Amino acid sequence: MRRILWHSFLYLSLTAGAALMLLPFFWMISTSLKTLAEALRMPPVWIPKALHWENYVLAWNAAPFGRYFFNSFFIAITTTVGEVITTILAAYAFAKMEFFGKNFLFILLLGTLMIPGQMLLVPNYVTIKRLGWYNTYWALIIPWVVSVFGIFLLRQFFRTIPDELWDAARIDGCSRFRFIWRIVVPLSRPGIGTVALFKFVGSWNAFLWVLIMTDKVELRTVPVGLRFFMSDVGTNYPLLMAAATMAIVPILILFFFTQRQFIQGVARTGLK
Amino acid sequence: MRIPPRLRSRRYWLETGQAYLYLLPALAVLGVFVFYPFFNAFNISFHKVYLVKRVGGRLIPLYMEYVGLSNFARLFSDPIFIKAVRQTCIYVAISVPITIGLALVLATLLNEGLRLRPFYRLAYFMPYITPVVAIAMVWQWIYNWKYGLLNYFLGFFGVDLINWLNDPRFSLAAVIIMNVWRFVGYQAIILLAGMQGIDRMYYEAAKVDGATGLQAWRKITIPLLTPQIFFVFIISLIGSFKIFEEVLILFNNTPGPLYSAMTMVYYIFDQGFNRFHFGRAAAASVVLFGIIFLLTLFQITVTQRRVHYER
Repeated sequence: MRRILWHSFLYLSLTAGAALMLLPFFWMISTSLKTLAEALRMPPVWIPKALHWENYVLAWNAAPFGRYFFNSFFIAITTTVGEVITTILAAYAFAKMEFFGKNFLFILLLGTLMIPGQMLLVPNYVTIKRLGWYNTYWALIIPWVVSVFGIFLLRQFFRTIPDELWDAARIDGCSRFRFIWRIVVPLSRPGIGTVALFKFVGSWNAFLWVLIMTDKVELRTVPVGLRFFMSDVGTNYPLLMAAATMAIVPILILFFFTQRQFIQGVARTGLK
Repeated sequence: MRIPPRLRSRRYWLETGQAYLYLLPALAVLGVFVFYPFFNAFNISFHKVYLVKRVGGRLIPLYMEYVGLSNFARLFSDPIFIKAVRQTCIYVAISVPITIGLALVLATLLNEGLRLRPFYRLAYFMPYITPVVAIAMVWQWIYNWKYGLLNYFLGFFGVDLINWLNDPRFSLAAVIIMNVWRFVGYQAIILLAGMQGIDRMYYEAAKVDGATGLQAWRKITIPLLTPQIFFVFIISLIGSFKIFEEVLILFNNTPGPLYSAMTMVYYIFDQGFNRFHFGRAAAASVVLFGIIFLLTLFQITVTQRRVHYER
């Protein structure tokens, strides 16, 4: 009897909590399908009478969202690919090689985790200007193709690969570089996937950096575009919510398919 | 001094060369965009930066003039910066304990409720991964004082309409509520992973000794979870000090009514990129770094000393 009570309490509260978590998303989608008059009705209309999908068309055409999405995808994909390459190489060196200054470099890298990114905004703005990268894709991609977190995570993965593999490969005349891409990388797919996933999402969600390093419409990403869309559209909530939904959907789709890896990655950060 | 034998071997230096080749891309980017700007932030904080200045008939962009500590002097005599530090601290002091407390409860429930766990995890995790700009837009709508959902629900409890985003008494609360919602699931996932790492043996033993579920939770789960709790605590402390984007979006490019949601990073952004006072913005970032540096030192000392009860 007590068990039943406890379980009903348990699932009731978990479900209520989940509903609270999902409510803003539901409200966003619901509003995005209403007419303005319907959105401003009290008590609120939970499910719109007619679904006004045209809000999405209107929002899409009210700003160059096509360009924003292209930029976001382009930047997120190139950054992720670049990051995966630099990270694999660096993590391998730290995991499997003995070299001069290894401990020093490792501590230096650890130290970067203490630096708040916002501290670097002003000096990086100066650097980007001096490099002539202001308002270019370079400024949005190159500074982000490294992730110290990724290096640490992959290093842990690589360390579990037995040294005998490398010894055997070397005897067969395999170069270290080839060994990394042919043996180490395929063996570490889950780790690399997690690192790439985090980078992609981080890049997609990035806002402040893009806002500061560009001022051209053609270079806006989805989050920055959204912000300007807000000031243009004002209080037309159905259109605003349609735009917000469009910005969230790609990340949600990605998340649905990679949930496991994602959550394991986050859980791992707490376990070290 | 004797040279260790490994330093004399040819193979060691060959491997060193190769390792640096592999490290080069990562180190180059970190060097230019992390290490150099880190030191340059200190440097800039001692300068007045002109966007363009005419020196000897030539126009020099980003001209720097040494001004000593005057940026810091101005910073600390600027009531808006003081307000920013204050509001940031209030935000941190309220939001961090609430989020962790709720996350702990949530993780405990998730740990018990085996069925549907994937669904719950998905639901609780969604706020964390979605872009903050879009999320803040949605919350701006939820906080709408006339048509917003929150006031509608509060109406059931007889609460009068609260002007969340335009009343300086409530603006910080609006930011806190939204971010508790955003981060509670994320923190719960980390804590849940910690709970699952606890050996079932302890619970079996407690059961044999006649302990209730609550007792087991207090005497076993919480003590053995301290490393994760402490980790989450520090991470969210540091993250909360950096709060900014939520404010910018929620309050339509303002720091809230009467600067009530002014935060340190907002101040850096505003000084640096609305007013182009780079010197002062850099000085404020040095202060921010100081705070985060102290927190990290605290974390390192504590983690090394205690927290780990076993393992």
